[in-house]
Amino acid sequence: MTRTFKIGIFDDEMKFISSIRSLQEQKLQIFDVFTPYPVHEVFHLLKRKSKLPTAAYFFGLFGIVGTLAFLYYTSVISWPLNYGGKPFNSFPSFIVVTIVVTILTVTLASLALFSARSKLFPGRDNTIFDLRATDDKFVIVVDTNVKDTTVGEKAGGIMEEQGAIEVVDKEFENVEV
Amino acid sequence: MYKRKIRGPLIEGNKTLGQITKEIAAPMEVTPGLWWYIAFFISSVAAVFGGYAIFITVNKGIGTWGVNNSVAWGWEIVNFVWWIGIGHAGTAFSIFLLILRQKWRTSINRAAEAMTVFAVMSAALFPALHMGRIWNVFYIFPYPNTRGPLWVNFNSPLFWDFSAITAYLLISASFWYLGMLPDLGTIRDRTTSKIKKAVYGLFSMGWTGSSRQWIRFESLSFILGGIAAVLVVSVHSIVSTDFAVGVEPGWHTTIFPPFFVVGAIFSGFAMVMTLMVLIRKIYKLTDYVTDNHMDAIARILIFISLIMATAYVTELFISWYSGNKYDMFTMFRNRVTGDYTMQFWGMIVCNAIIPQLFWFRKIRRNWIGLLSISLVINLGMWLERYNIVITSLSKDFLPSNWVSYSPTIIDIGVFVGTIGLFGAGVLLFMRYIPMMAISELKSVANIGTKKED
Repeated sequence: MTRTFKIGIFDDEMKFISSIRSLQEQKLQIFDVFTPYPVHEVFHLLKRKSKLPTAAYFFGLFGIVGTLAFLYYTSVISWPLNYGGKPFNSFPSFIVVTIVVTILTVTLASLALFSARSKLFPGRDNTIFDLRATDDKFVIVVDTNVKDTTVGEKAGGIMEEQGAIEVVDKEFENVEV
Repeated sequence: MYKRKIRGPLIEGNKTLGQITKEIAAPMEVTPGLWWYIAFFISSVAAVFGGYAIFITVNKGIGTWGVNNSVAWGWEIVNFVWWIGIGHAGTAFSIFLLILRQKWRTSINRAAEAMTVFAVMSAALFPALHMGRIWNVFYIFPYPNTRGPLWVNFNSPLFWDFSAITAYLLISASFWYLGMLPDLGTIRDRTTSKIKKAVYGLFSMGWTGSSRQWIRFESLSFILGGIAAVLVVSVHSIVSTDFAVGVEPGWHTTIFPPFFVVGAIFSGFAMVMTLMVLIRKIYKLTDYVTDNHMDAIARILIFISLIMATAYVTELFISWYSGNKYDMFTMFRNRVTGDYTMQFWGMIVCNAIIPQLFWFRKIRRNWIGLLSISLVINLGMWLERYNIVITSLSKDFLPSNWVSYSPTIIDIGVFVGTIGLFGAGVLLFMRYIPMMAISELKSVANIGTKKED
């Protein structure tokens, strides 16, 4: 399916942010913005939130419980082995492996979740709205495929007014973001 | 945020965002100079020599090394601990400074992390070879097997060590790669070559820089940073338990975990300094890695050097104060005096005395001074590990066990090989991966400059 987008390109962070504000004041839906580095103002304006920390907490909990359970199972249930008269369930020395394996679990699981949620994996071909967004330009993309046909025009006008260096219409097939 | 008037700008020369991309990507877009090929050739020759030594080791057994029944751990463990120590800096550098919100890390963290990955790879080779029968190396994994199932000894520091190093290698590589994603995207969008576009496109995994990707990216960086900070401290503590849990005089002390962690960060920061001095000199990136950056690393090194000196004195003091005659013997008759005085005093001079030259501003701002002192520190840290491993083993409780130790050409070969591997890795890194975190540099481009005010 071909979709048309209104794309505004800025070379100044301030103009870019004030443009997002104006678009939101006019109740125009922003499809997404693309920046060369993380701009925190954008996260607040577009209400972007990440639940990764919560997920990581549960991965950690799973890691701790899972590792301790595994160590208990192997050392006490499956094949108890007497090492110099120490108790089978030698909890203090299990802590070391538990810390390390928990950290590894959190890292790998969070990475996997990040990759799945952000749709980032080898061979992924996300739509690039403007090549310069990874270099030095700030890009606002507005989806014009809505009922209100004046959206594109309005958004374009606002972005030009706010100092976009370029405002263009671009068509994309099978948009993936 | 405090104003950074005292420290000066993080990036000099009032760069625009486009300039930053262009200047950091430049080394990857031109054919490297002759020096690169020469350095790569030397590293490869060293690696081939190492390959030969490993072949002999695997083919004939570790009897080809200088180790014997008393000194069962020789150069290989010295080198292992040394490399792991160097490997600590990358993560220590980027993670401690990340969670402390020290923005000056941005110019250095990428190279430091790259170094970490190659150093830990070199380190991991030694314990594997030390097993003698490297084809049975998978026995150390606790997997359900047909031998009982017989599990590994989870109470053994050697197993802790294995799990710590495996985790550390995986996590530091993940952290390094995660940080690289946006920059690989930048290179993909810049390049005109079709092959490069395909390769960097594959590795950038569809990075676009959208707000959704960025927020998750930042959040994940902090999660990984926060938990890996624990790992940095724990890995070398665990390495130290390889020694501290043993009963050998000179090893069986509680000072070992902090002593090892600080030592590791010391050698790692020294190696970061060696690399950064060379990178900024060769690639003329002095605007990004300013004199202030080098100054900051040098100050950290003085501080750590003082901690190391305190630790050396404490070790000697406690061995006397404890009244344990075996410990006294090892410290005073086999280290301070005796057969290994060269190593002991070399360690003191290289780690505790020479780094004090960094008190002078002139030396902190002179690249030859920085380079030579950082190399001296790395030598000193190697001597420290030699001192710990060899002296305690060579003369323990029973005089009938006493032997002397010297390495064979195979020991030296494996060590030279890992240096070659490390060198080749770093050179490939300089050639194919942005040496500094481009996207992070852009976010600090205005800090401390007039533009910010």
